[in-house]
Amino acid sequence: MSTQYSILFKQEHAHDDAIWTAAWGKSEADGSETIVTGSLDDTVKVWKWSDEKLELQWTLEGHQLGVVSVDISHNGAIAASSSLDAHIRLWDLESGKQIKSMDAGPVDAWTIAFSPDSKYIATGSHLGKVNIFGVESGKKEYSLDTRGKFILSIAYSPDGKYLASGAIDGIINIFDIATGKLLHTLEGHAMPIRSLTFSPDSQLLVTASDDGYIKIYDVQHANLAGTLSGHGSWVLNVAFSPDDTHFVSSSSDKSVKVWDASSRACINTFFDHQDQVWTVKYNSTGSKIISAGDDRAIHIYDCPM
Amino acid sequence: MASFGWKRKAGERVSKSVVQQFEAEAEKAEEVDEQTQDEKVDWLHAIKRRREVLLEDCGAKSKRLKDEGALLAEQGRHWEAIKKWDEAIHLTPDDPLLYEMKSQVLTILQEVFPAVRAAETAVKFRPLWWEGWQTLGRAQLNLGEVDLAVRSFQVAIHLCPSECKLWQEDLAWAWRIQKQHLATKEKIRQEEETKKQILNAPELEQDYDFESDEVLDACVAVAERQTHYEKLKQTAVVIDSEGNIQNVVSGEQGSDNTETPLKEQFVKIRGL
Repeated sequence: MSTQYSILFKQEHAHDDAIWTAAWGKSEADGSETIVTGSLDDTVKVWKWSDEKLELQWTLEGHQLGVVSVDISHNGAIAASSSLDAHIRLWDLESGKQIKSMDAGPVDAWTIAFSPDSKYIATGSHLGKVNIFGVESGKKEYSLDTRGKFILSIAYSPDGKYLASGAIDGIINIFDIATGKLLHTLEGHAMPIRSLTFSPDSQLLVTASDDGYIKIYDVQHANLAGTLSGHGSWVLNVAFSPDDTHFVSSSSDKSVKVWDASSRACINTFFDHQDQVWTVKYNSTGSKIISAGDDRAIHIYDCPM
Repeated sequence: MASFGWKRKAGERVSKSVVQQFEAEAEKAEEVDEQTQDEKVDWLHAIKRRREVLLEDCGAKSKRLKDEGALLAEQGRHWEAIKKWDEAIHLTPDDPLLYEMKSQVLTILQEVFPAVRAAETAVKFRPLWWEGWQTLGRAQLNLGEVDLAVRSFQVAIHLCPSECKLWQEDLAWAWRIQKQHLATKEKIRQEEETKKQILNAPELEQDYDFESDEVLDACVAVAERQTHYEKLKQTAVVIDSEGNIQNVVSGEQGSDNTETPLKEQFVKIRGL
């Protein structure tokens, strides 16, 4: 257990081109930790995190254009990836084989997210619809309409009640999943929202935007609880820690910042990347952070617990 | 301490009020000066003042040149526009807009390589600007660098996915050309490999008992490979209007005259 924030591991040249997305999962079967990364080089890579180092397990080929988003199912068995060729692919993490390939239709696969029960995958579309695909069926099951613009970011609340989407014009929509009703529309930012995330208790929603700000909302009442500044450029990704008290953000100013959710202060800044940092995630316990970006490097940081 | 200044050094020992009074008087005097004679040297702020004036002028002049260039470009006077922008670049060398505009016009003028260079500079100065990447991609496509163009368009889309033109025109077009390139390359590779196998056929490396059927089998195998090669040579990669890639037997030298040369070759090999 470390007592301060520090960089633990660097994997240089993890991909042949910019890394746009990453996910960190834990296998329910054997407790092993898996990291999945997606890149502009059209590949998805699966890494094992053990003994404080990364080991490449699979290089998954099949996407024909850059991989925009990846996610890992909550039992750690399946990875999903979406790319600019508008396909969503499901991969078996144990064997490295493709399970399914779904054609989402042109321009209709961007950020993807597994539902808390991992039976569905949500992705935004260019007409402002959130399409929900069945993992088992491999087909579009239903869709939620925001009547808005291109949806860049998607998040399920961990309690399975809500789904939030962030659009390119800065509008945030929150749906009630059980009824499919649009609960709240928030005019949070004036610029694209590239990432949003719920707190583990599903009470807070954190959003990241090109305007350089991070906003925190109280989900139930749809109140703005705070606006955070600190990044010098677009905020590209946010992720909440499983400890419910911290979250982390990454930016095109090349930095990764860790924030305290209650005091809303930045408590640590990592300045280790050479270029834009497109993705940042916590591991399942909140003891580690992964970040990756245009410099093709994967960094793992230690967090005090 | 960015720059040298006598005031700062003196300030340590001179009382504040005196300095303030002195400066206030000096400024008053300066105002009078400006009203009467513009050219008179401002002794108090000599160094600093001059630089400010210069910077302001560079920015303003560059902007004027940029607008003039844009106007010229609109009228189709492309080289004159580029001349204006080059002057502007000289004044403000880190304005990405100038490079991006220059690249577009260079592309129109078919100056393909300078166009790529200009767009690359634009992207270097402002990497989050999708239009810069779009212009770079288009310049690269003109240069024939299809793979690089596809990459640039992808970066542009990743920055601004709601821009329909990027998807429908730029990326779709470049991606199609990339696929066609790959198909052609693959065919050439196949052809060459078959040719190589004909020249040193694996069957010929082995010693044969000339009485046995093995010889015949080997000859048949060689002949089959030759037929395959002939066929490959006669097919061409054809891209139909919808952009689908097909391997088509080119019309005139159809199947009838393939037989004769093949027989000759067959006999020739047997003679070995």
